[in-house]
Amino acid sequence: MAKLTIPSQELMYSGHAACPGCGGALAMRLLLKGLGPRTIVSLPACCWTVIGTPYPTTALRVGILDNPFEATGASISGLRAAADVLGMKDVNIVGFAGDGGTADIGLQALSGMLERRTNAIYVMYDNEAYMNTGIQRSGETPWGAWTTTTPVSGDLHGKPEPKKDMMGIVLAHRPAYAATLNPAYPEDFDRKVERARDIVGPRFLHIFAPCPPGWKFDSSETIALGRLATDTGVFPLYEVVDGRLAITRKTGALKPVEEYLHAQGRFHHFTPEDVAKIQAQVRESWDRLVQREREDLSRPH
Amino acid sequence: MIEIRFHGRGGQGAVLASELLAQAAFLDGKSPQSFPFFGVERRGAPVTAYTRIDDRPVRLRTSIPNPDVVVVLDPGLLGTTRVTDGIRPHGLLLVNTPKSSEELEAPDGVRRAAVDATKIALSHGLGTPMMPIVNTAVLGALARATGVVSLEALSRAIEQFVPRSPVENRLAARDGYTTVRTVEVGALLSPLPVGAPVPRPSGEGPIAVVPSETIHTAAWRTFTPKIHLERCTKCNFCWKFCPDDAIEFDPQGFPRIRLAYCKGCGICAAECPPKTIEMLETLA
Ligand SMILES: Cc1ncc(C[n+]2csc(CCOP(=O)(O)OP(=O)(O)O)c2C)c(N)n1
Ligand code: SF4
Ligand code: SF4
Ligand code: SF4
Ligand SMILES: [Mg+2]
Repeated sequence: MAKLTIPSQELMYSGHAACPGCGGALAMRLLLKGLGPRTIVSLPACCWTVIGTPYPTTALRVGILDNPFEATGASISGLRAAADVLGMKDVNIVGFAGDGGTADIGLQALSGMLERRTNAIYVMYDNEAYMNTGIQRSGETPWGAWTTTTPVSGDLHGKPEPKKDMMGIVLAHRPAYAATLNPAYPEDFDRKVERARDIVGPRFLHIFAPCPPGWKFDSSETIALGRLATDTGVFPLYEVVDGRLAITRKTGALKPVEEYLHAQGRFHHFTPEDVAKIQAQVRESWDRLVQREREDLSRPH
Repeated sequence: MIEIRFHGRGGQGAVLASELLAQAAFLDGKSPQSFPFFGVERRGAPVTAYTRIDDRPVRLRTSIPNPDVVVVLDPGLLGTTRVTDGIRPHGLLLVNTPKSSEELEAPDGVRRAAVDATKIALSHGLGTPMMPIVNTAVLGALARATGVVSLEALSRAIEQFVPRSPVENRLAARDGYTTVRTVEVGALLSPLPVGAPVPRPSGEGPIAVVPSETIHTAAWRTFTPKIHLERCTKCNFCWKFCPDDAIEFDPQGFPRIRLAYCKGCGICAAECPPKTIEMLETLA
């Protein structure tokens, strides 16, 4: 066997109930590899409760706390306080919530957890809609995407509003660590998880989680699509440590977003103008990211 | 405090029964509480509802795992639902059934009571033979068997809160009251002595400990990956990207598919650099 580039330990069991090719399932598998067995995961209502906890089974070798949809941030503050009282200082306390559970209904609990400076890791696995309940739009659904609540027909052209900038919202709370992760880049993914693991304070991971049935692409393309998301600049990979931003994957030139959009049924109705609009937005936010990185680098320590 | 758990099916009026009982208790000067279990609410699906009755305001906000009284509106549930789970010793099981109370199964020490509420409901034209509305007849029986509410308060609650056929429903409650069959009719429940052990509901308890690996997901796939090892470079990409952890290594370090778990997503084949994994139409 060649040398493994990510940890060999498996803390997620097989036999779970995710759809074939689920990016969210791979995200959990990679996350736990990096965190290790001294971990407690708090799960709100989302695909993962159905994937991992049909009673009496569990898909994780670590403890799971099932909590209400909106309560992830509060639950990990409580878990951390309890662990501290019990003297369990070496335990990773992790909230693992969907984009709906994070950017919409769970936003105040997340904000509270960050503001209290809870020493825990909050993960948002982002499949860009409420998938568990049948593909309803969330604050993280991108502009123009088809969902069952943002249909495409006649005057209706998918989601009219743009995607919410969760990293921006989180960074405004000055977390100890925040990063974007993509299972299509497992080594970068693992390095960030291990880095987050070893930092004390509130930490936030935004994980890209392609969803074959929700985004309408073939289950074999989850990784290829993930790569396209990053290489087109739609989902750039970066981390922010103590307020300093560093881009962790730079490609010479960004690929055209068209490649990413055309690979998914949820964007099939896009006109060339729609594609151009997305392209301009992606370009602009990429430029802003590069600019911010440059400024942070030149800032004295 | 007396805790009462209702089991019925969607459409039979179990939720309304728990509310009517609480209203009646209120008219008797008690402090009641009532709410349904949040679950599937399809017609015919099992439904659970709860009522608590106390002399002081009820502060508990949980479901009732250890009821003093279990009320079953549909005898068909006895075969599919463990209705007496967690019932307290010296509690009461009341079932809508034409059978005698002695024929009912209940844990040792639990009193049994039977009332033919279906027959009563139909005699007053409540509901249809397929779906009789039995809740008021059952409540009449409950009033007699437990004494937790008076028939008078129950009748007034029905008058005020039952939207349709209040007169017939009051008569049904009266008939339930007079025809319920149990050993010690009217005896108040003996409260559980302080510190007495509370029986746990059966099952494994609230913590799920069975690994999902006991579930085989092989049947999910329509295509099965086959690795042609002669071209395999042992790069581990297939292993790295499998969302089901369905790839392991043989002693030589070659990847091997764990066929019990592979869902056939095709990621390994798509990501294999030398393209040495083939997706074959599944014949298990
Ligand atoms: C308070 C509350 N409202 C609604 C629901 C129903 N519900 C369960 S999962 C879910 C969607 C979750 O979406 P997201 O957080 O994006 O996770 P995903 O299912 O996409 O993984 C909803 C609406 C609930 N469980 N609790
Ligand atoms: S719906 Fe999407 S996110 Fe949910 S289990 Fe299926 S692939 Fe995963
Ligand atoms: S087809 Fe999918 S589930 Fe099966 S081994 Fe390959 S990656 Fe894993
Ligand atoms: S991806 Fe292909 S070459 Fe690499 S280990 Fe798997 S089968 Fe072998
Ligand atoms: Mg989601």
